[in-house]
Amino acid sequence: MMSKSFVGILTHAILFTLMFISIPSAVISYELEKMVFSYTLNNGLIVLMMERHLSPTVSFYIRHRVGAIDEEDGRTGTAHLLEHMMFKGTKTIGTKNYKKEDRILRLIAKTGENLDAERMKGKYADKNKIESLTKQMTLLQKEHKKLFVENEIDRLYTENGADHMNANTGLDLTTYHVSLPSNRIELWARIEADRMTNPVFREFYSERNVIMEERKQRVDSDPRGQLYEQFLATAYVAHPYRRPILGWPSDLQFLSIVYTADFFKKYYAPNNTVIAIVGDIDPAKTIRIVNKYFGSIPRRNLNSAPITEELPQKGERRVNILADANPKLIIAYHKPAMPDFDDYVFDVIECILSRGRTSRFYKSLVEEQAIAESIQTTNGVPGAKYSNLFVISAKPRYPHTSAEVEMSINNELEDLKSKTVSDRDLDKAKNQLRTDFIRSLESNTGLANMLSYFEIITGDYRYITNHIKIIEKVTPEDIMRVAKKYLLPENRTVANLIDKN
Amino acid sequence: MNKFIYRVLHLVLLYFLLSSTIACATETTSISKLPDPDTLHYQPDRFIPPLAQRVVIDNGIILYIFEDHELPIVNISAVIRTGSNYDPIRKEGLAELTATAMRTGGTNSMSATAVDEALDFFAGSISVSMNRDSGSFNLSVLKKDLDEGLNIFSQVLTNPAFEQNKIRLAKDLKIEEVRRVADDPQKLAFREFKKLLYDNTPAGRFPTIASIKNIQRDDLVQFYNMFYYPGNLMIAVTGDISKQEAINKIKEHFGSWNKANVHYDIPHIPTKSKGHIYFLSKNIPQSIIITAQFAPGKRDLDAYPFEVLDFIVGSGGFRSLIFREVRNNLGLAYSTGSFYTKKSEYGVFGAYAVVKSEATVKALSLIRSVIKDLRNSMIDKKEIERAIKSINNNFIFSFLSAKQIAYQQLMIEYEHLPRDYLAAYRDNIAQVSAKDVQRIAVKYLSADESVTLIVGNEETYKQMLTTFKNVLRVESKL
Repeated sequence: MMSKSFVGILTHAILFTLMFISIPSAVISYELEKMVFSYTLNNGLIVLMMERHLSPTVSFYIRHRVGAIDEEDGRTGTAHLLEHMMFKGTKTIGTKNYKKEDRILRLIAKTGENLDAERMKGKYADKNKIESLTKQMTLLQKEHKKLFVENEIDRLYTENGADHMNANTGLDLTTYHVSLPSNRIELWARIEADRMTNPVFREFYSERNVIMEERKQRVDSDPRGQLYEQFLATAYVAHPYRRPILGWPSDLQFLSIVYTADFFKKYYAPNNTVIAIVGDIDPAKTIRIVNKYFGSIPRRNLNSAPITEELPQKGERRVNILADANPKLIIAYHKPAMPDFDDYVFDVIECILSRGRTSRFYKSLVEEQAIAESIQTTNGVPGAKYSNLFVISAKPRYPHTSAEVEMSINNELEDLKSKTVSDRDLDKAKNQLRTDFIRSLESNTGLANMLSYFEIITGDYRYITNHIKIIEKVTPEDIMRVAKKYLLPENRTVANLIDKN
Repeated sequence: MNKFIYRVLHLVLLYFLLSSTIACATETTSISKLPDPDTLHYQPDRFIPPLAQRVVIDNGIILYIFEDHELPIVNISAVIRTGSNYDPIRKEGLAELTATAMRTGGTNSMSATAVDEALDFFAGSISVSMNRDSGSFNLSVLKKDLDEGLNIFSQVLTNPAFEQNKIRLAKDLKIEEVRRVADDPQKLAFREFKKLLYDNTPAGRFPTIASIKNIQRDDLVQFYNMFYYPGNLMIAVTGDISKQEAINKIKEHFGSWNKANVHYDIPHIPTKSKGHIYFLSKNIPQSIIITAQFAPGKRDLDAYPFEVLDFIVGSGGFRSLIFREVRNNLGLAYSTGSFYTKKSEYGVFGAYAVVKSEATVKALSLIRSVIKDLRNSMIDKKEIERAIKSINNNFIFSFLSAKQIAYQQLMIEYEHLPRDYLAAYRDNIAQVSAKDVQRIAVKYLSADESVTLIVGNEETYKQMLTTFKNVLRVESKL
């Protein structure tokens, strides 16, 4: 099909000839903006490209604006299971005879749904029915195996030298990334456009088992996983940021192939997708390939369901996890998400508190008081689209306790509220953020990652280049104001990992 | 300034190019016409590995330089011929503590606090890492901070002060780290596994709380004096710096460092192991299986067929044999596969799986039979060709950044590999045949030599005993 007129929207590329003045250190940020070519295809798909020729390779990031927060209650884990299913091939990749396959896949889905419905009855389930359905399922799966070739997407990529091939699911977004030798751009477009349109959910039920093992590995066998899961479920009462991306175990065992397919149809639309391509490319040629393969994917109506809002917290929340492990502590405060100005202020606070050996937390808790093994802060947990958390996590140093560490952390936070941060400390933080930005440009994957991330979260990749300009404006008074506004006991969640021995 | 102007012109040209071609970029493809992805045509790849420049300065320091002026960053890595394999018995952890205290314990011209203040203020970083048979110090700074950064970096390497209180801090933090090893079942499993595989030789000894407590400042100074001297040092300089400037700067900061070479014995690592199944009890709902044995090292031509073998067995992605059996077909594990780590003189090949407890025996048996089959039957020629194609097409990803290019070439010299190691690599892989793979499987993969460790719960132990004789219980001592 020919689309009427593909108008690449070249958002900026010409203005800069006038703007080009040598400004120390800020030059880099202005420059990046000019090196990025941004297009929107007719179907709403946004493509960001950047040319770099040191290595004859190219990195691709595809991001869909969908994640675990978009699942219905009782269906947690769907976004992540879908991500696994996207590696199972398409109608033209991995099939020996798609017509025949389709018939069996429908039977498998029906049997699977019936089996789950029976198993869901728990102790009232009909054991004979389960047994016969299980048998039937095994037979169907055996039949199906004859009709397809496993893992063909992986084979195609791997044989062609793919690097950094993977996908990940977040609360806000889902990402598929890969790097290839730069002469193989068409292979990427061929595979990705196809799986964005015609994925086939082969081996759904065995993959569901794999994910149950993934959960066991990351959560049940790992005390850190348990702490983090309970911490989020405590910090959030209503907003879906409270849920584990892997899904609650009881949801996971009944995840539905029908619901997963609907979820795919609803959210993997071109107008809900951003692509970043960075590396040894010719943008003109590349956009032609992208348009050839992705251009005909129809735009869809995006009627996303409302997301439950979190209410303001009105008192401290605490949760303890007993485990066979040494103590660990997480403290978190609710705060607004980017691009709120206060989020930038927290980026600065993060540096002041825990960046480097001269940061306040390290100096005080690790060096001087010698009560912690390590202490970090992270601004923007667990997602970035909705108001999120400023998180402090620490490991006490034996025989010191989490309670001692918590008290010292609180003292440092009080200092932020009562004493003005020195100009030198503020300058240091800004230098660090500025340098971080430049370092983040070092690799193609890093760049493709950032461009697509900020475009999908904030709606404009230029968030990255503007970030530093806004950071420059942060004053000591801003830091004190923000500390006083958010770092309050009633806005706090404390999660403790306690050694049960 | 010039380079920016160049870029501006370049982009303007590109813009016109785009605007004229956009009109024709209207073709889209519908699914019925999608080409077969196996027959897509690609421009030929004429990749020749880029070469860093090698320079030796008067006092014996070897430099590798690779320029890349895209970003105003300079990276410098110093690699020292040392390693934790040189830790004295009962002082395990000394190599690492020495490096950490060099970085954190100040220099003879700057206090520890002054070093940290300076680096943090301009956001420069000096990181250290200590491996079994090498150590490295890495400086990363913006071009404008190069002089200040390099000054500190050179002082850290040539004039460390080893402030007593920073040694105490480094020891205390290491002790806490060791105390916490068992919190992470996988970390615990690999640590205990290496102890068993290397059987109380240097590579099988780990820092313990007692060994760290045993280490004093004098030990650090002595260790430093033994290993840190110009003839034992190689430096990679990369990024926004010219070759001449790099040479001048290194000469300026390291040129007057004169310290005679010291003789020390290279620790012996055995390359044979006695096969056995070991069990370490931990109350987790899964089992961690690790099984491995010795394999050819990088300097051995057998390493090439072995790499192909490893790819097919378990590191070549979803299609690899172990992944397909254990994860794909049976859904027993999320993480599973094989690994082949190579040193210059020897390698280790093994397989791992994190499986549901009740499937421990099954998974281990599957892995063992996959490996046994390699000895008994030849792998399909097509699979070999696929593996070769994959490995060779992926080769260019070893040259992504200036840092990687120079560091890699430095390490080739460090490991005494042939000069043309990289240039010949793809040809060496391309020559591998199914026969070679079977030959090396027979040569290296004997079941009696494979060391296996299972970390799992008590139920799993009972299950193991029903199938395997002589499962030896081990305890972890931290």
